[in-house]
Amino acid sequence: MKNFDADDIIFAPATAWAMGAIAVIRVSGKGCIDAISPDFKTVRKDHSLSTRKTATATYGNLAGLDDCIITIYRGRQSYTGEESLEISCHGGLQTVKEILDYLLSKGFRKAEGGEFTLRAFLHGRMDLTRAEAVNELIKSRGETAKAMALDRLNGSLYRRIEDIRALVLSVMGKLEVQLDYSEDEIGEDLSFPEEDIKSAIESIKRLSSTFSAGKLYSQGASVVICGRTNAGKSSLFNLFLKQERAIVSPIKGTTRDFLEAQCTVNSIPIRLYDTAGFRDATEEIEKEGIRRSEALAENADILIYMTDASEPVEDREYTEKDNCIKVLNKADIASLESFKAPFDSYLRLSVATGEGFNRLCDILTQKLESTITLPSSGDPVIENQRQKDNLDRASGALELALKHNQEGLPVDIIAPDVQEALLALGEITGEVTTEDILDNIFSNFCVGK
Amino acid sequence: MDYDIIVIGGGHAGIEACLAASRTGFKTLLITQSLDAIGRLSCNPAVGGLAKGNIVREVDALGGEMGRLIDSTMIQFRMLNKSRGPAVQAPRAQADKFSYSRLAKETLEKQSGLELFMDTVTDILTQDGKACGVLTQRGMSFTSRAVVLTTGTFMDGRIFIGEYDHRAGRLGEEAAIGLGDALRAKGFTTGRMKTGTPARVRLSSLHLEKMERQDGDSEIVPFSFMTESIDRVQMPCWITYTNEKTHKIIMDNIHRSPLYGGKIVGKGPRYCPSIEDKVVRFPDRDRHQIFVEPEGAGTEEMYLNGLSSSLPEEVQRDFIHSMEGLEDAVVMRPAYAVEYDYIDPLTLKSSLESKVLENLFIAGQTNGTSGYEEAACQGLMAGINACQKLKKAPPLVLSRTEAYIGVLIDDLVTKGTKEPYRMFTSRAEYMLSLRHDTADERLTRKGYECGLATEERLQRLEYKLSRTEALEDLLHHRSFEQKNAYEAIKRPEITIEDMVGKVEGLDEFESSVRKRTELKIKYDGYIKLQEKLVDRFVRLESIVIPDDFDYDSVDGISAESREKFKQIRPESVGRASRISGVRTSDIGVLLVYLRK
Repeated sequence: MKNFDADDIIFAPATAWAMGAIAVIRVSGKGCIDAISPDFKTVRKDHSLSTRKTATATYGNLAGLDDCIITIYRGRQSYTGEESLEISCHGGLQTVKEILDYLLSKGFRKAEGGEFTLRAFLHGRMDLTRAEAVNELIKSRGETAKAMALDRLNGSLYRRIEDIRALVLSVMGKLEVQLDYSEDEIGEDLSFPEEDIKSAIESIKRLSSTFSAGKLYSQGASVVICGRTNAGKSSLFNLFLKQERAIVSPIKGTTRDFLEAQCTVNSIPIRLYDTAGFRDATEEIEKEGIRRSEALAENADILIYMTDASEPVEDREYTEKDNCIKVLNKADIASLESFKAPFDSYLRLSVATGEGFNRLCDILTQKLESTITLPSSGDPVIENQRQKDNLDRASGALELALKHNQEGLPVDIIAPDVQEALLALGEITGEVTTEDILDNIFSNFCVGK
Repeated sequence: MDYDIIVIGGGHAGIEACLAASRTGFKTLLITQSLDAIGRLSCNPAVGGLAKGNIVREVDALGGEMGRLIDSTMIQFRMLNKSRGPAVQAPRAQADKFSYSRLAKETLEKQSGLELFMDTVTDILTQDGKACGVLTQRGMSFTSRAVVLTTGTFMDGRIFIGEYDHRAGRLGEEAAIGLGDALRAKGFTTGRMKTGTPARVRLSSLHLEKMERQDGDSEIVPFSFMTESIDRVQMPCWITYTNEKTHKIIMDNIHRSPLYGGKIVGKGPRYCPSIEDKVVRFPDRDRHQIFVEPEGAGTEEMYLNGLSSSLPEEVQRDFIHSMEGLEDAVVMRPAYAVEYDYIDPLTLKSSLESKVLENLFIAGQTNGTSGYEEAACQGLMAGINACQKLKKAPPLVLSRTEAYIGVLIDDLVTKGTKEPYRMFTSRAEYMLSLRHDTADERLTRKGYECGLATEERLQRLEYKLSRTEALEDLLHHRSFEQKNAYEAIKRPEITIEDMVGKVEGLDEFESSVRKRTELKIKYDGYIKLQEKLVDRFVRLESIVIPDDFDYDSVDGISAESREKFKQIRPESVGRASRISGVRTSDIGVLLVYLRK
C-alpha cells in the first residue's frame, strides 16, 4: 500500500484537467481548514474559514491567486468523511496549477488515484448504493482481473515483462539461497549476480523509454505558436485546424489570451496553442495574456516561433531552444533573396497561400519523433504512466541493489531491493500481492473523485 | 478435574508446553509413551541453524526452555553466515544427544506443579463439544480443563527400510495406534507426511584423515539470554562427498526404495530430500556434500548428515562404503523413512486451539511441521495459550512483523502446508527486524505479561537496553579518526571492534552490547525502511473480521473463496488476503461489507 496514509492532508482537482469555466479542487484531512484559513481573505470580517460552520460556502481571495468560493466540511458530511474543503476557482489551467502549487507548499500531498474514495471507504462513508457500485466495479474487475490486465497489455509486452521478471526472479533465487542455506551447505559459486542485474536494468530501461513513443501516438504532444504580435500566428493556428476558429485580425494584440485546440498532424494528436504576441503591452489584461503565453511556451513540447518577413525580428530566448521551429511568414510578399543571417535558417511559409505548410508539418513530425526513442519494429511499447512508473520503480530498485553491493553491504540488505523490483514488475502484469490489494481496487477511481 | 492441563507427548513441543503450563501456575500432567525418550533428538543432534536459531532465541525470550537445554549440552557451536549480513546470521550447535535428553527430563522432574506419566493416549475425552481429558491404552482416564496434543511422528507412525516396514514412530519405538482413528471419528481432517533420517556409523571405523575437518567457533554466543557465557569442550565435524560410484549404486537399486515403489504415500520435504531423491532430481551433480557429525561425547555413533534414505540396508552399506573416508564404516543404525498422521493446520486458530474441538491445542509435527525448533515454538505457544484460555485472557498471537514464530504459525493456519514445513529466512518479509540478537527486545515483555518470562529476565533486558543506550551516548561524544565515532560506525568498512582501545571508555562495555549497538547504528536506515513496510502491513491486519461474520450473507464473494473464508475464519482482512487462491475482488467485497 503506497502512500495510502489515512492521516495526512491530500488534495486533487475534482474536475477534469482541461479549460473550463470553473474548476473544483478537493482537499481532505484533519487540520486542513485551519491551515488554509489565514491565507483566505474574505469580504466579511466574520467569515474566517476557521469559524464557519460545516457545509457552508465562503467567498474570498485565496493567497492572492484567485477569487474563489470555499466550501468547508468539518466531518461526516464530506465525501471522505474527514474534515475537508472544496475550492471552486476560475477554470484556467494556470490558475488551477497555481492553486495546486500553493496547496503543495502548505505541506499537503497530491492524492493518489482513488485515494479520496479509499478514505471515504475507511471512514465508513460509503452508503449502500455506493457500496454496491463499488462492489459492482470490483466484481467486474474481479472475474476477469488478471485476464483484463493481460488483455490490456498486448501479448508481446506481457511476454517481454515476463522475460525480465524471470531474470529478476533468478537473481532473487541466487540471493535467497544465501538467506536460506548457510555458507557450508551450498558448494556452488555464489558470486553476486551483477551481470544479470545490469542486463535486467538495461531491458527495463529500454522498455521504459518506449513510453515516450507510446505516449506521443496515444496522448500526443503540445505545440505552441508564439512570436511577435501580428506575425500571423492565429492564421497559422487556423491553417492547422482547417477552420476559422480563432478570431483572425491584423490588429496587434487581438489574441489576448491563449487559445487551445486539438488537431492531428501525421497521425500524431496535437494540442495546439495560439498565444498572445510578445510586445510591450500597456494594458493590464494584455500583460496578463503575454505572461500566460510565456508560461505556455516554457512547457511546450514544440515551439513554433513565427515572425513576419516584412519586418523580421528574433526573440532569441525562444529561437535558441532545441524544440523551436523558426518560421518566416508572408514569404509570398517579401523577396526571398533579401534575408541574411539569422533569418536564412527560417522556414519560409505563407499562411495566406498555404505554401510551405506541408514542409512545416513534416519538420514538426520529425522533431517530435526525434525526441523519443522509436522502438525497433516488433518491439513492445508501453502506453501508460502506471506501466512506466512501475518500470522505473523496478530499475531504480535494481540500481539500488547494485549500489548497495558496491558499498559492500550484505545480502540481507540487498535482497529487499530485488524484492521491490519484483513487486513493481508484478504490478504491471496484474499479479496481486498482499500490499497492493487496496491499491488495485481503488486506483481505478479518478483522482479526486 | 484431575489436572488443569494435560500435555500429550514428551518431544520438543511437549516439553515447552508442559513447562509453560506448570510455570504459569497450572496443575499439569505430561503423558508420554516413554519416559526414557523425553527431548530426544531423533534425527540430527543439532539445534539452531538459519532462521531456526532465531526461533530458539525467540522461544527463550518468551521464557521457554530450549535455549538453556542446548547451552548446557552443546559439543560444537558455530555462528552461520557470518559473511552474509546480520539478518541472516544464526547460531547452530551440535548437541550431546544423551545429555540433552537427560537434562530435559531432569528439568521436567524438578518443575513444581508438573507430573509425568508413561502411557499411550488413544482418545481425547470430550464433554459438551469441549476437550476434557484423555483415555489411554491401558484403560486409564485423566480429566483436565485443556489438552495439548503433540504426537510428533508417532500417530499411526510407520517406518520403512527397503522392503521392510513396521508400525513405529522411531526405530525401536512403537507407534501410537488408535488416536488417529479416534480423532478422525471426531471430525478432524488428517493426512500423511513423510520424513527420514540417515544411517549412524561407528567413529572408530572411519578414516578421518581422508575427510575435511570442521571445527566450531572459538567464540560461543549462548542461545539463552539468561546464559552469561559458555565454556565447553568442542568436538569437530567432518566433511566428505558422494561420487559417481555412490550415485550408480543408488540408481541401480532405486526400484527397491519404498519412496519410488509407491509404498509411501506421505509427502516428504523438498528442502531436505533423501539421497535417492537428490540423485534422481539432480542428475548433473557429480557429488553431494555429506557432514559426518558426532551424536554425543559419550558415544561412537556418528550422524551422516545429507544421506537420509529408505533403501534396503545392504544397499545403504554399499553406497556408504563407496565414499571417501567411509570405506570401512560400520553401520550401527540404518537410515529409514517414517510416515505419520498429521492434522490439517487450517483447522487451527492462530492461538493453536483447534476449531474442531474447543480446549484442545495442537503443536509441533502434528501440525505438519518439521524440525525441533519449529516444534518447540509451537509447543510453547500452545502451552501459553492454553493458560491464557483458562485465565480467560486473550490469546498471545505473535505477528509476522515481530517474530519468526509469528510467521510460522500464520503460514500454517492461513495457508496450510503440503509438505513438512520448515522455517526459512526468506519466509519472513521483515527479516531485518527479526535478528536473533533482538529476540529479547521483541518478545520478553510479552512473555512476562503472560506470567512466563521471569522478573530476572525482564531486568536483564532492561539492563541490556540501558547499556546500549549508554554506549550510543558515549559514541556521540567521542571521535574516531577525526570523525564523530557514532557517524564513523555507519561506514561499512569500520567496525566497532576497530575502535576498541582507540575510543576511550569503549572497552568497559560487554562485547554483546558493543555488537548490538554496532548493528543498531549501522543498519538503522535499512531497519527504518523496513519499519515503514511494517506499518503498511499492520494497517490491513488491523481491520478485524468479527468471529461470527456471516460470509453467506455477502453476495460478491466467489464460491471458492467463501468456502476458504468459512473454513479458516481469518481474524483480519490482512490474514484473509494471504489465504492462497483468494482474489483481490473478494478482499474488496469483504472490505465493503465490513465497513457498512
